[in-house]
Amino acid sequence: MNVTSQDLQYFILTLKNCTKYDLTEYSDKSLMRRLQKILVDFNLDIPGLVAAIRNDADFSEKIVKEITVNTTELFRDPQVWHMLRSRILPRFKNNKTINIWHAGCSTGQEVYSMMILLNEMGMLENAKIFASDLNSDVLEQAKQGVYKYRFNIGYLDNFDKVIKQNPLNYEEFNDVPYEKYFDIDKVRDTITIKKHLTEKPIFRKHDLVKDGNLFFAKFDLILCRNVIIYFNYSLQNKVFELFHTNLYTKGILLLGMHETILGPWAAKFEKMGQAYIKK
Amino acid sequence: MKFFRNLNITQRIQIVALTMLLLLFIISALVVFSFSLKRVYSTTDRQMETYLNQISVIVNMAEQKTSSGFDFNDHAILKPIFSSSAFLKTDYPFLVSTSGEYLIHLYKEKHKIPKAELSQIVSHSSQFGYVKYFETKNDKEEEYRLYFKKIDTYNAIVGVPVSVNELTSSLKANRVVLLIFVLLGSVASVIALYYVLRPIRNAINNVTSSIAMLSQGKIPEKATFEFNDEIGDITKLLNNLIDGMERTADFAIEIGNKNLEATFEPLGPNDRLGNALINNRESLKKAYEEEQQRKEEDDKRNWVTMGLAKFGEILRQNNNNLQLLSDNVLQNLIDYLNANQGGLFTYNDDDTSNIYLELVSAFAYNRKKFKQKTIQLGEGLVGNCAVEKKTVHLREVPTNYLEITSGLGDTPPRSIIVVPLKLEDKIFGVIEIASLTDFSDHEIDFVEKIGESIASTLSAVRNNIKTNYLLEQSQQQREEMAAQEEEMRQNMEEMLATQEEMSRKSIEMEGMSSAINETLLFAELTEDGYFTSSNMKTMQLLEYSRTELEVKKIEDIIHPDDFVFFQAAWNEVQSGSPYKGTLRWVTRNDENPYILTSITPTYSETGELFKIYIIGQDVTESKLLELRAQKQAEEIEQSLLEIQVEQDISKSKEEEMSLLLQALDQTCLVTEISVDGTITYINHKNVDTLGDRKELIEGRKHDELDMMARKNPEQYKAMWDQLLVGKKVTREFSLLVNNNKVWVSENYIPVRNSLGEISKIINIGIDISLFKQKEEELLAQLKGGKGNKNEEKS
Repeated sequence: MNVTSQDLQYFILTLKNCTKYDLTEYSDKSLMRRLQKILVDFNLDIPGLVAAIRNDADFSEKIVKEITVNTTELFRDPQVWHMLRSRILPRFKNNKTINIWHAGCSTGQEVYSMMILLNEMGMLENAKIFASDLNSDVLEQAKQGVYKYRFNIGYLDNFDKVIKQNPLNYEEFNDVPYEKYFDIDKVRDTITIKKHLTEKPIFRKHDLVKDGNLFFAKFDLILCRNVIIYFNYSLQNKVFELFHTNLYTKGILLLGMHETILGPWAAKFEKMGQAYIKK
Repeated sequence: MKFFRNLNITQRIQIVALTMLLLLFIISALVVFSFSLKRVYSTTDRQMETYLNQISVIVNMAEQKTSSGFDFNDHAILKPIFSSSAFLKTDYPFLVSTSGEYLIHLYKEKHKIPKAELSQIVSHSSQFGYVKYFETKNDKEEEYRLYFKKIDTYNAIVGVPVSVNELTSSLKANRVVLLIFVLLGSVASVIALYYVLRPIRNAINNVTSSIAMLSQGKIPEKATFEFNDEIGDITKLLNNLIDGMERTADFAIEIGNKNLEATFEPLGPNDRLGNALINNRESLKKAYEEEQQRKEEDDKRNWVTMGLAKFGEILRQNNNNLQLLSDNVLQNLIDYLNANQGGLFTYNDDDTSNIYLELVSAFAYNRKKFKQKTIQLGEGLVGNCAVEKKTVHLREVPTNYLEITSGLGDTPPRSIIVVPLKLEDKIFGVIEIASLTDFSDHEIDFVEKIGESIASTLSAVRNNIKTNYLLEQSQQQREEMAAQEEEMRQNMEEMLATQEEMSRKSIEMEGMSSAINETLLFAELTEDGYFTSSNMKTMQLLEYSRTELEVKKIEDIIHPDDFVFFQAAWNEVQSGSPYKGTLRWVTRNDENPYILTSITPTYSETGELFKIYIIGQDVTESKLLELRAQKQAEEIEQSLLEIQVEQDISKSKEEEMSLLLQALDQTCLVTEISVDGTITYINHKNVDTLGDRKELIEGRKHDELDMMARKNPEQYKAMWDQLLVGKKVTREFSLLVNNNKVWVSENYIPVRNSLGEISKIINIGIDISLFKQKEEELLAQLKGGKGNKNEEKS
């Protein structure tokens, strides 16, 4: 089904009027594709969809959940984690507390990756972990910390690459057993994060478009990876502003592999790889 | 006779005996009496003869002594002799003459003998004899016998009269005594009979009562007996009879109690009852045996029928779980056969190149055994059974054949059957069962029959399971596919979004990049300082071709005067700090332009220096004015520094562009105008330099604000036409800001999107007020010369 830009605007407007979600400044093309997918999945046309959104709040919620993309993995992009390990986290080594916000944490793998890394670096004690996402379903899954094992064997490779090996020193090898952090049940096909990890983070449903900072804290580190690609330029800048405001000076914003700050806020950060250090 | 019949046997015997005795006694008494009489007579006869002979002798003698003839002398001599009786009181002899005259007689001498008797005597033929005569005495006629002897002497007869009464008187006296004896004897015999007969009677009574009981069907006690007489015999026989009856009855009771093995000797070869009973028992026994046999057969049949039903039921249940089914079947089968262990193997041909039998269930001593075992076809009993498809019945089990022993004792099973589970000659498995007892034929038949059912069920179950497994698998695969698909779609979406973001930025960057390339010097260096790439502007400035430049190092183009300074900066850069400052470069033609140079090191993700960026602006024209334009120069410197700081070390062009854009944003007045002339964005520099307010400018039409559009619409339109065909336009203008005249050199650069269409126009303006100011001042001082050049360069 072809969705015209008019249809898209109609959809966005309806959603804005009927729910608390404002997708106006989301990236058009991406949103268009997601909308197309939804129409196919739910076997609806635009008027039907719009009518359903108007009449059914739960359905609208579901639609928004369907629109969001929740791609994540444990230690995704190991080189980023290497940088976190070797160059970013050591900066906070002597802090009494380290506040970390995972904005758009999805199903939580990034949160637990961070905690594992912090634990290996002996910094977990001092860390306060906050995590948020727009989609309450994935947030719930994040709280559970239970993932499919078979699809995600790659997690363990990433774990090896980040935790066991050190790319700067190939002779170094930390034999950290998986059991320290996960329970792997091959029969049930699950990989379960240990309880001492899942209990710690504070998970909140949060809309980057309008919710501001829900945590009443400033942060040393904000991770917002592969989120702003779904936003348009204007919304990106608003988000950068939000992050900038809530970072401590010298606090670090970490974006996705292919995300960069362009425009006005670029000057307010010092760039170091994917990391932006607040000036 | 009637009376007689009513008597009992003792009485009868007594009466008969008594009567007979009496008769006997009387007859014998009579006989004795007559014999005695006869003897008396004969004795008397002989005595008389002798006596008469003696008398005759005497008479003779007397004759001789005397003269012949009878005379008185004779009389005198003979008289005494004839005066004494012979033997009795009255038998006195006498001598009578033939004439009948008594010659001598006690008292009848001279009398004559009665003629009757004399004639009898004379007529008597013999010399001796007797004649009978009767005399009446006391009115009683008595009989007498007159013995006589005829003698020659005297021609006389000697005689003696004998009274019969006198003769038999003693006999008559005995007769009474005899009678008394007879009576006494009779009584005694009756008494004796009574006593003799009493035990007999008692015995008979006993026998009678026993027989009476017998006749009523009772079995009396055995009678006792003391005699070996006939009664004793009867009693003995009766006892035998009772005994026999008892034994027969006992036997009959035993038979009644179904003890057909009871021993019994018939009372005799012709014992009808006994033999009948024995026959009865035999036929009962036979019937019983037949019954047993029939029962046994019935039992077997029932056993088989019930087993078939039972296993039918078992096989109907659990027919979607092979393990449970096998366990159930096997356990029940072992149980049903009273065997002690067994195993069920299924035929596994999942892999046709490796067909084997797999132990799916094993039970021993009523416990499930968790053993894993596979048996190749043809291996051992089980393997052979599967190949031959025939039941194997092993009656002598080798001691170490079985792997499971009870632990309670090591009695090895005596017998093993291995039965193929086949259906229409296709094998589905093998059942092996071991038992402490031998298997009977019907059990084996049963197992074989059940085997078919098991085989068919196994086949069905296996198919079911396979189908279910495939279904589940496909279901699961479908779900996984769906999940994976969604994940893929999300990944795809992320990639697309990233790509779009990148391409959007990349397009923007290209615009920026070309803007920068048009306005600034830009080059990349290796970590050693060799040029790897540079923009046209740089090449034009240095007057080197690309290839020429590629063999040069940065230090080759630095003016010797600045070299020390540069060297220090370069070292800094090598250690990671960006450098910014004005350096004199050396061109091919030895010109020495002043270049505001920023040198920024770039690091890879692993922290290694891999590239150095050079950004420069030719400030030669203003360098002369530098001292006076220090402030402005510094500002530019600052901006360049910031650009350098923002310079990313990343590989991507987009990043480097972003830094450039930032630098540009800081240094230049950047305005974005849409194709329809709407101003969409102005940067802070714009605001700072021209004092415009962002919110007042953005969204307005360019031509509403532009002086040229108002004063010289044609020229303005020409400029737009140029822009809309993709050509860049440069112009300068001045305006008053806070009473200061601000000069701006503007570069309008059209930006094309991915389709090559002009999507917007970017205006990069440089504040040249200071230059202009200096220029004007210089112009005013020098009055002539370089104004034109200034105008061009802006």
